[in-house]
Amino acid sequence: MPNWTYHTIDENDVLNLRALIGEEQRMLWKEQISEDYSHDELGGTSSWPELVIKPVSANEVSAVMKYAYEHSIPVTARGSGTGLVGSCVPMEHGIILDLSLMNNILELDEENLTLTVEPGVLLMDLTAFVEDHDLFYPPDPGEKSATIGGNISTNAGGMRAVKYGVTRDFVRGLEVVLPNGDIVEFGGKVVKNSSGYDLKDLIIGSEGTLGIVTKAILKLLPLPKKTISLLIPFPSLEKAIQTVPKIIKSKAIPTAIEFMQKEVIEDAEEYLGKAFPDHQSEAYLLLKFDGNSQDEIERAYAKVADLCLEEGALDVLISDTAERDESIWKARGAFLEAIKGSTTYMDEVDMVVPRSYVNDMVEYLHSIQREVGLRIKSFGHAGDGNLHAYMLKDNLSDEEWEKRLNKAMDLIYAKARELNGQVSGEHGIGYAKKMYLKESLAKDNIDLMNGIKQVFDAKNILNPHKIAQL
Amino acid sequence: MNILVCIKQVPESNKVEVDPVTGVIKRDGAASKMNPYDLYALETAFRIQEKMGGVVDVISMGPPQAQEVIREAFAMGADHGILVSDRSFGGADVLATSYTLSQGIKSSGNYDLILCGKQTIDGDTAQVGAEIAEWLQIPSVNNVLEIKEVHDDSITISMDLPQEVEVAKISLPCLLSVDQDIFMPRLPSYVKKKATKDREIKVLSLKDMEDTDASHYGLNGSPTQVQRIFPPTSSKEKEMWDGSSAVLADQLFHKIEELKFV
Amino acid sequence: MAKLVLHPENIDDPQVLIDLCPFKAMEMTADGLNINAGCKMCKLCVRKGPKGAVEFVEDQVQPQIDKSVWNGICVYVDQVDGAIHPVTFELLGKAKDMAHVIDQPVQALLIGSNVSDLAHELLHYGADEVYVYDDERLDRFKIDAYTNVFEDFIQKHKPSSILVGATTIGRQLAPRVAARMKTGLTADCTILEMEDNSDLNQIRPAFGGNIMAHIKTPNHRPQMATVRYKIMNAPERKDEEEGIIIDCASTNSMVDSQIEVLDILKKEAEESIESADVLVVAGRGVKNESDLEMLQKLADLLHGKLACTRPLVENGFMSAKQQIGLSGRTVRPKLIITCGVSGAIQFTAGMDHSDQIVAIDMDPDAPIFKNANYGLVGDLYEIVPSLIEKIEAKKGVQNA
Repeated sequence: MPNWTYHTIDENDVLNLRALIGEEQRMLWKEQISEDYSHDELGGTSSWPELVIKPVSANEVSAVMKYAYEHSIPVTARGSGTGLVGSCVPMEHGIILDLSLMNNILELDEENLTLTVEPGVLLMDLTAFVEDHDLFYPPDPGEKSATIGGNISTNAGGMRAVKYGVTRDFVRGLEVVLPNGDIVEFGGKVVKNSSGYDLKDLIIGSEGTLGIVTKAILKLLPLPKKTISLLIPFPSLEKAIQTVPKIIKSKAIPTAIEFMQKEVIEDAEEYLGKAFPDHQSEAYLLLKFDGNSQDEIERAYAKVADLCLEEGALDVLISDTAERDESIWKARGAFLEAIKGSTTYMDEVDMVVPRSYVNDMVEYLHSIQREVGLRIKSFGHAGDGNLHAYMLKDNLSDEEWEKRLNKAMDLIYAKARELNGQVSGEHGIGYAKKMYLKESLAKDNIDLMNGIKQVFDAKNILNPHKIAQL
Repeated sequence: MNILVCIKQVPESNKVEVDPVTGVIKRDGAASKMNPYDLYALETAFRIQEKMGGVVDVISMGPPQAQEVIREAFAMGADHGILVSDRSFGGADVLATSYTLSQGIKSSGNYDLILCGKQTIDGDTAQVGAEIAEWLQIPSVNNVLEIKEVHDDSITISMDLPQEVEVAKISLPCLLSVDQDIFMPRLPSYVKKKATKDREIKVLSLKDMEDTDASHYGLNGSPTQVQRIFPPTSSKEKEMWDGSSAVLADQLFHKIEELKFV
Repeated sequence: MAKLVLHPENIDDPQVLIDLCPFKAMEMTADGLNINAGCKMCKLCVRKGPKGAVEFVEDQVQPQIDKSVWNGICVYVDQVDGAIHPVTFELLGKAKDMAHVIDQPVQALLIGSNVSDLAHELLHYGADEVYVYDDERLDRFKIDAYTNVFEDFIQKHKPSSILVGATTIGRQLAPRVAARMKTGLTADCTILEMEDNSDLNQIRPAFGGNIMAHIKTPNHRPQMATVRYKIMNAPERKDEEEGIIIDCASTNSMVDSQIEVLDILKKEAEESIESADVLVVAGRGVKNESDLEMLQKLADLLHGKLACTRPLVENGFMSAKQQIGLSGRTVRPKLIITCGVSGAIQFTAGMDHSDQIVAIDMDPDAPIFKNANYGLVGDLYEIVPSLIEKIEAKKGVQNA
């Protein structure tokens, strides 16, 4: 791999770039840059940018890219900074393009059921907007203050993937600024498209290494009128997870199938200061159904409820009001923060395994805690096989923590490979998971990825050192 | 111990609007649910039942559709359900509502303990519980924070008072209105829902009451009259203040004073 | 007997009436259109339905009460352990205004033990007559005994209107008294107006404040209303006492109670930020951990709690339980003052339903100002100490 050299930003560059941006307050240099820009949500990867620019249009992004291309300045795009693998951390410093001001919803096309947005629109604002129009954008990652641009860049998944799929399934078209500053469009409002390689799909999940998304056309669905959740206590986690493939086989399609264990629920109770509505069991499945009427959903879930009872569930509890949903889903939504709050520092794995192996993986995570000497907590999307496991530092010394963490990571990813899994389900590879990607993929795959990168970004100025650049 | 819980069916959302021209309430859809505050009363009843045995029954007043919330109470574990329903009960204010429910309670059996939620989310008065107790001539306590002890002839509770918490022992029978969060309410059970789907709900109409004089019920038995309903005027301001720190502090002080926080 | 009568001959399309009824009380049955038990007698169908379709029939004239027998506007004195709840003074002020309209006295009803000092205090706030039931057996609030005493007062002195503070005591005592007197009671009134004929116009919110209702009690006395604290304005305390104190006797049967008070506990100080009426929020603009003392002091002076944004939890200044936002607690206080909070959506989503939002921040472009009712562009390190000084000065005057 060549050793790239980059130009360090000097006062002259700042003056030139300021001329492109116009408004002074949309450029931050040196001590104006807040510490936030040096890391993401998890904070494990850290590197400061030299300059932060907050563009408000594709033309501004284009102008900055042209300048950066000409002067070999590295550029890293950033949304809300809620990532967990360091994708938005500028490893070679240079410019951060903070896209959070490009947060306009441009067009709701009710004839084509599409929504056109700028990349800085927050997921929570986007969903609220479409729901006001009785429409539905199904991807539902836990972090609602993430930007849609960030979601596209990591191909975020979320809770509703079982029924609806992931972000990729809801992106119709993208406007992208290429590393040389050219503005191009991939895909469009069309429903079908077999016009050559799908460049749009290459951009989705590319974590800002191929181009900068400046506009996205998203596909919408009619909003289901009603949702009902089922909280199903099982005598053991094994019993709970073994039931999942049978639920999927039953062809009644829940939007979400999550599993949760007592200890994580207790962390959430402590964190939120609010009791969970049930305590009778060690392990639960949490299912969500949507539909257009209470009757329709009741018919759909009755089959699943009966099945769970046959498989040994202790009961099937119904959450059919906003208050009840809040008592369950608020706890579910707080798991990450609650676990974070229960320790000094943590690192995570976001592996995905075939759904039939979820139980093997969860049991394996339990079994290695003693061996590696770390507390490991897990929860996740039983319905799509995406598991989130958190290794907790607690009172370990930095050195000891590194040692044990690496051992745990190695073991877990080896197990994931053995079970035909993948390194990341929805958080991405970024900087933090590169090593594990390398181990999990064939050399051909990595070479193809780097080949694509070379085609898009021959000077390697866009978000260097990420994904397949080992 | 025989416990009766008063429950009410309310609109799923209290986001109603009044048409400023016609004065007509615009309700978004027709979905309804059990008044969320009543869930805490039900949960309290189940917790006492777990210790003391006996039955937990529920009573509601409303149109025939209100049977839905009684079925929901069955799915949570209630034993029997009573619906007080008659066209002549329509238009009842707090006094007539509490009188009607007290008549329904008298016609339904002897209860050691009657439990109510703090208030409903539609009427918002928080008065019906205490008035029921008055009609039944039993002691009552509002804002119950905690059940401390239960005996066959008394119950010891703590209640929220403006400046302090009072622990009191009340002889049974009595009526308690419990505060939110006294216990986290359980979720309805699919298993119980299926098992109780054919359970009979006792429906009481005017003729089933001890007092069958229609003038004591509904609009006729209501001393208060609603003259009109109208949308609230929003008093929320949005202002940006500029100036020296001293000026800003002074302005803020006067605003806080005006809003009665000092 | 008042009732609604349908006239099918005037109904072309029954669906019009079915759609009109907000309570789904109009239904088609085998016998045609019918009114079911869902009817709330709102009479909307009479007023807004097809002409002549629904008729409101009152076939019996109710006996009219003699309103002239009922004379006086009574305020219940909310006191525990000799401390008068300030809502009482606010209600005395309102009662005085209304008493002028009908030329009736303002009465204060004081129930308790060893309360003669309190009775005198009330004479500084405009009560014309203070009725005192002073009995050691009434030292604690017991609902049955207090209801009996209240009834005794009403029977003997016949007030035309009764105002009760909507405190945890008033909200349970007032309904018991109303039911005892078989009269009307309107909860949580925000506006009260007296008519010349002594009818009380009462306006209150319903459906969580989404609609307002104007309510009257035209043919019953006394007419009763509760009012929350800080809705009405308290009058200035006058130096002179005006009015008279009337001692009333309580009997054994009156003070007999089924309730035995076992203990009085202090309210737990460790209240969560979710239940606080006032919150002062420390944001990233707070530079040092020691600066939190200043904000805590402001919170204390406003009887509120100190809360924070995520960065202050991450740098260890404050605990996660004090954090507002999507990843923290959702709060809805009556007043929230954010200090040095820029207003990321992560934060504002957890507090944007607060009643009054005051934001103090240096950056005029900070997004928090979009949510603020009052936005102060300035330095919190200058504004907050100055504000504290002013509040302390005012409290000092009051306590002097």
